[in-house]
Amino acid sequence: MKHLTPILVLLPLFFGAGCGDSDAAPGWVWDLPDTVPEPRVPEDNPMTVEKVELGRFLFYDTKLSANQTQSCGSCHVQELAFTDGLAQAEGSTGQIHPRSSMSIVNAGYAASLTWANEAVVLLEKQALVPMFGEDPVELGMAGMEDELLRRMREDENYPAMFAAAYPDQMDPISLDGITKAIAAFQRQVTSFNSKVDRWQQGDRTALDESAQRGMALFFGGTNAAGVEDAFECFHCHGGFLFSQSSDDAMQVFDQKFFANNGLYNLDDDGSYPAGNEGIYEMSGDPADKGRFKPPSLRNIAVTAPYMHDGSIETLEEVLDHYARGGRLIESGPNAGDGKENPNKNTLLNGFAMTDQEKQDMLAFLRALTDEDLLTNPAHSDPFAE
Amino acid sequence: MNKVTILVVALGLAGIGCGDSSSGSTGQTVTIDFVAKVGAEDFVCGDTYDNLGADDSSLQLSDFRFFVQDVELKNANGDYVAVTLTSSAWQTENVTLLDFEDGCSGNDFGTPEMNMVVTGTVPAGTYDGLRFEMGVPFDLNHENPATAAPPLNLTTMQWSWQDGYKFLRVDSGNFSMTDWRMHLGSTGCDGDAVAGGTTACDNPNRVEVEFASFDPTADTVVADFAALVDGAALDVNQPETPFGCMAGPGDSDCAPLFDNLGLPFAGSTPGPQQFFYVE
Repeated sequence: MKHLTPILVLLPLFFGAGCGDSDAAPGWVWDLPDTVPEPRVPEDNPMTVEKVELGRFLFYDTKLSANQTQSCGSCHVQELAFTDGLAQAEGSTGQIHPRSSMSIVNAGYAASLTWANEAVVLLEKQALVPMFGEDPVELGMAGMEDELLRRMREDENYPAMFAAAYPDQMDPISLDGITKAIAAFQRQVTSFNSKVDRWQQGDRTALDESAQRGMALFFGGTNAAGVEDAFECFHCHGGFLFSQSSDDAMQVFDQKFFANNGLYNLDDDGSYPAGNEGIYEMSGDPADKGRFKPPSLRNIAVTAPYMHDGSIETLEEVLDHYARGGRLIESGPNAGDGKENPNKNTLLNGFAMTDQEKQDMLAFLRALTDEDLLTNPAHSDPFAE
Repeated sequence: MNKVTILVVALGLAGIGCGDSSSGSTGQTVTIDFVAKVGAEDFVCGDTYDNLGADDSSLQLSDFRFFVQDVELKNANGDYVAVTLTSSAWQTENVTLLDFEDGCSGNDFGTPEMNMVVTGTVPAGTYDGLRFEMGVPFDLNHENPATAAPPLNLTTMQWSWQDGYKFLRVDSGNFSMTDWRMHLGSTGCDGDAVAGGTTACDNPNRVEVEFASFDPTADTVVADFAALVDGAALDVNQPETPFGCMAGPGDSDCAPLFDNLGLPFAGSTPGPQQFFYVE
């Protein structure tokens, strides 16, 4: 029962934290299948159509970068399931980010945000990182909060949009109004209409036989070598997100999850390349070296290259990596056998995979793509004409 | 996660009003003066200072700001009493931003305005001691910066990737990636989506300062950059880490700086802080 205590204690928190926020949003309806819970929505940022639309404009507006060259959408491109196709992202000043741009799809369900951060769990606060972060520089707005608001006030559309999004506020153009709208937009960029979803909802025509075999292997099936749950995929990539790191409106447990998947092993301590070491960078605990959040596998076929640093180019190679139980880098500065990384998740022991099984796994992973997401006008760039 | 932590968080958050200021209590007003120095010299934004650290390095310093929290004065009975802060652009609730830079760098990181005092009220009496922490209180540190009252709404003091604030920032040169910098705040923080935010931090990194003898009418608190970097090799950088120290627990460049702040680093047991003294 001890796990239930936090909820009882925290209820007063949520009721007490409101500061003149409006009542529950009328008219907002989640477009979700019955198989999926609603995302958690902070009490002080209810969903409204007007706020989401404001958020869509802000998400795609280069006014959010200091030099007005980049928007959030520059690194989170809809056609690529809101990634950018690069191994490592490039900020508005040209600085290369250590990490690969992570998809924002279903980010409202993330138990923690970005690749390796135990602290940032709210989209409203996460938005501040790319806007104002100084190392690395992304949008580069540190110290320019007044200029940002000036740009909003002087725009021909934003004053009315902010007023519509925050009808109770005398001065609705604020940094808080910006981050809340972007968060609300992201929260409704959901994606649950893949072939696999349709199969799980009962459409037995949704998956071909190869994808069905791949799904069975993914969820613990016995492989051709006769090993039960040989592939072990769903332990890290399970649940409705195909990532164990998930949260939703009804969730009562903190489900943050980070795992070392044996990409590197530079020394006996399991070190990863400096500057890209997982939650170790924040915790300082050597056991956290190389621990990253397992990303959702939804739309994974369109989000290459793979891993936190984009160091694997194709899904085929990703499967080979897991079949081996870790990556061997034979020479160069990152030489080492990730298979022997002392921090590696204990389930990643490698497995035998026939060529047919590989093709079946690929068929299943490709069936996780939600084609509607990639073209949904409700999520598209309003400035692209 | 333990229950005690959650209770503390819940109580802390419940106590946060909507940007309301501390009520002015009856009592005597008090002003505690701070000054930033580099060794014997006063800090002047943009000036270059020599003979710093273990290698007698030179740095052009372009930012010098820190937060203090829970400022208390020692009364005639030897008891510490809280200074009730006067609400201003520099102070909210129990935290004050001390700001010794004047925007000298010409970029957008700094502000022309400066603040070198903590102002507030204490019960009438005489006071002869001072204690405070360099930091931002836990509840304020992990609130939403976008709705925070000044000075906590300054984006250059926010440290959003760590879900908190830079308690101390000292920058050199033009704030580039190859200029020496120190940004200090809480690290190893644990967010919880169910609880709505950070519940605890492994390394709070708040610097505790106590001066048993301090006359608020005559004395000044000195923050000495030379003392902060004493023994640190400023021209040497651990590869693939920020130049200087961003408080990363794996960045060994931080070790001597933390030691001078009286903060543990990688399991060390430091002595008292050396950064602040009284004159």
